[in-house]
Amino acid sequence: MKRRGRGMACMWYPIGFTVAANPSAAVVKMNEDGTAVVLTGTVETGQGSLAVLGQIAAEALGIATDDVHLVSADTDATPMDCGAIASRTTYVTGNAIRLAAEDAKSVLFEVAAQVLGVAASQLEARDRTIQVKGFPRCSVPIGEICKRAQITLGRPPIGSASWNPPTVALDPESGQGKPFSTYVYATQIAEVEVDDETGEVEVLRIAAAHDCGTPINPMLVEGQIEGGISMGIGFALQEEILFDGAGRQINPNLTNYIVPTALDMPEIDVDIVQNYDPTGPFGAKGVGEPSLVPTAPAILNAIRDAVGVRITSLPATAEKVLAAIKAKRGDERKQIPA
Amino acid sequence: MIDVTIIVNGETRRASVPPETTLLALLRDHFGLTGAKVGCDVGDCGACTVIVDDRPVNACLMLAGQADRRRVLTIEGVATKDKLHPLQKAFEERGALQCGFCGPGIILSAKALLDQNPEPSRHEIRDALAGNLCRCTGYAKLVDAVSDAARAIRSEQLHD
Amino acid sequence: MADEQRVLERERSAVDEAWRGLDENARLPAAAPPKTVPAEPLVPVPGQQIRAVGQRATRPDSRYHGLGQTRYIDDLALPGMLHAKIKRAGIASARIKRIDTSAAESMPGVMAVVIGREFPVNSFGPTFQDQPVLADEVVRHAGDGVAAVAAVTEQIATAALEKIVVDYEPLPAVFDPLDAMREDAPKVHPPKGNICHSLAIRRGDVAKGFAQSDHIFEGRFTSQMVEHVSIEPHAAIAAWDANGRLTVWATIGRITLARADLARTLRLPMNRIRLIGTIVGGNFGGKNEISQEPALALLSKKAGRPVKGVFTRGEEFIASTVRHPFIMDYKTGVTKDGRILARTARLVLDGGAYCSWSETTLGKCCVLAPGPYKIDNVRSEAIVVYTNKTVAGAMRGFGAPQVCFAYESHMDDIATALGIDPLAIRLRNAFEEGSPSPTGQVLQSVVVKETLLKAAERFGWEVRS
Repeated sequence: MKRRGRGMACMWYPIGFTVAANPSAAVVKMNEDGTAVVLTGTVETGQGSLAVLGQIAAEALGIATDDVHLVSADTDATPMDCGAIASRTTYVTGNAIRLAAEDAKSVLFEVAAQVLGVAASQLEARDRTIQVKGFPRCSVPIGEICKRAQITLGRPPIGSASWNPPTVALDPESGQGKPFSTYVYATQIAEVEVDDETGEVEVLRIAAAHDCGTPINPMLVEGQIEGGISMGIGFALQEEILFDGAGRQINPNLTNYIVPTALDMPEIDVDIVQNYDPTGPFGAKGVGEPSLVPTAPAILNAIRDAVGVRITSLPATAEKVLAAIKAKRGDERKQIPA
Repeated sequence: MIDVTIIVNGETRRASVPPETTLLALLRDHFGLTGAKVGCDVGDCGACTVIVDDRPVNACLMLAGQADRRRVLTIEGVATKDKLHPLQKAFEERGALQCGFCGPGIILSAKALLDQNPEPSRHEIRDALAGNLCRCTGYAKLVDAVSDAARAIRSEQLHD
Repeated sequence: MADEQRVLERERSAVDEAWRGLDENARLPAAAPPKTVPAEPLVPVPGQQIRAVGQRATRPDSRYHGLGQTRYIDDLALPGMLHAKIKRAGIASARIKRIDTSAAESMPGVMAVVIGREFPVNSFGPTFQDQPVLADEVVRHAGDGVAAVAAVTEQIATAALEKIVVDYEPLPAVFDPLDAMREDAPKVHPPKGNICHSLAIRRGDVAKGFAQSDHIFEGRFTSQMVEHVSIEPHAAIAAWDANGRLTVWATIGRITLARADLARTLRLPMNRIRLIGTIVGGNFGGKNEISQEPALALLSKKAGRPVKGVFTRGEEFIASTVRHPFIMDYKTGVTKDGRILARTARLVLDGGAYCSWSETTLGKCCVLAPGPYKIDNVRSEAIVVYTNKTVAGAMRGFGAPQVCFAYESHMDDIATALGIDPLAIRLRNAFEEGSPSPTGQVLQSVVVKETLLKAAERFGWEVRS
């Protein structure tokens, strides 16, 4: 018989390395037509970091996303970066890029101040212009300013910066300290159907509500959450590396190490919870790893709700679930008086 | 060495290869068509999916000799000189691909489905993609994109 | 002249005349360029700009991905490029008495072989440099590499591995992390004991907290070893130029550190190394440190030609890093209305044969273990243990998925026992803006409750009476 159950799990997760410095450096070069090239040492590993970092640069410079080109991942040409790890790219590399853009902009403001006859501090960059704050009609196209800076005044607008999340080392005795600059939070709720004759668990749907600070690109945030959930499902129900008695893996292949396919996935409802972190670039934090953290306990709690058994070791394979169901039935039978 | 002649993406190509060469190795190493990927080389992951005579096939499981005189479609042949295929357009608009490594295989499996079944249900789409592993996306936007493409193809055909 | 002749002879005898002719073409992409679609002009109309932050912007690589034009490392080829394969130990714990590579070296088509002792510095690791590039004295897990071969084709390189003879003297091995913690357990890194790292975090007074609790709950939870399974396997190409400068293309996500590791293992100044990352086909933590790159560099130097190495899917499992299996003991004291007064978490992490990212994982999971809850009295202790199994390293979450599985399963057990709704008990205890973390940090930008309520609303979570 198939029984349905629901389960929830919430979590917290930090951005960046535990205490240790993990800086990123960036360079922003304005071209003579107002478009920009950004140099970053990070590596695009599929999560869409180059898109997000480009959007941060564009926002900082007041130009369009398509006006920014990113050059990445070359130790000769791009500045150092601690890498696409620990969900740190949007937050740490993003801040470095934002600061580098501010650095480049300071040259533009100096030049534009002369052209417009105002103080540099009265200016902002928006809509591909440098304009007086609050007075869009008093503006010059950013391309003109870039050209003037480089060609007329001999001051190419290049900005560079680095950023490292501020932390405080953990006390060796008590472990007290500030190991991370910021954290993100999330909840996932799963509905499952358990076949109490085979132990098979099907995940029917998952509602995921995630905090990532400001979502720089909501489409990519959703993609990370959906992808993380698929890894979480594998972790909860299917994946396991097995060893023989001599310490050799028994199943080092994709036939016998089961990962989720398109058929294993439920429908997923994603919500990005409204939040803003002032320490992050335009309020952003991160989402790459948090996406998979609460999935397994949400599913395991749903299994318990469905068939009343608590599986305490992952993965909750059909064999384990069935054995637990049978053991429970056995216990229940014992309780009936003779 | 054996001689093979295959029609790849509409062009006749010839090669002389050791008999144990797979179709995947033929495409990648001899014809420079690197869109089909080596994910596992034993038919478990689907990253090497190509379409042979209208059927989606793991190119690593087919020998070059078995593809002799047959028509093969790889990812490089899906777009035309002027237009993206509706699948490629939908995938791009949905941001469906992340690292992109499974992408060519997924697009070809999806194309094979839509060529046979122009109005697939979400379950039928998932089923068609079941042999293509993806670790990045959770398949969610991939399924949405295939749905979008199916709708776009049907509406194009209505207007023709 | 005689040397060059000999090299050419070996190449010729390895392959057919016809094959060699094709081989030339295979090294450069031989096909006509694939049909492409010209991109529409990307510059939007001035004055109608959409704000960049919050935009569902198309990724710059989307179009290349859809067309199959994205070039991953294995899609790159350089003229004269060789293919490398690595011989894996196949035994979990042993001393290497002798390695004989002569039969492999003299195989037609084999251009270079390297073993561990040829590296100027044969060790690396993000925290401790306790992992050899290629094992030269002791093998500590079955996936340890012991030799590397570069040959004109992958098939020849793979066949050459069989010809490498290694004499092992088996050593005692330990596989269970709890066994490995015992005094009398075989040592994975003698004379050091098997406890690689440990960390403890304390706040308040747990004994007092338990004494004040109406109920105390305990539970043990365990999680398994899993692998990243990126669809793209680890891949790299190494090539030297005439000035002795090394260029490495690799699937590594942390190129600055990788360059430092190459400089260290090969004893080269950093400005003589260029590390290029292209678009990686999935990382998830498994591609954040060097693995085969120094071996490829040395092979390339010996052979005088570029060398590409791509892991087989089997190597992805046995030779790259995995997620730490955890054993987690939780004890929680609550009031009768479900408020947490005290919690202890004791974690044992199975680190495998080398340290890799264990220290970072330990730090994170220890801090996160109590969960996103206001707890005045908390103690969180964690230990990483060496065992003779696959190296546990960085994998998406660094211990967080494991501890969340434990603390959220535990929370539901408490809720059920007390007859409290799972949502209610979490709302009662969750962090708020300004709450102190287990390490005494004042938390900001906290929205745990908002995520709970939002998910519940979306799901349609109704409280059962």
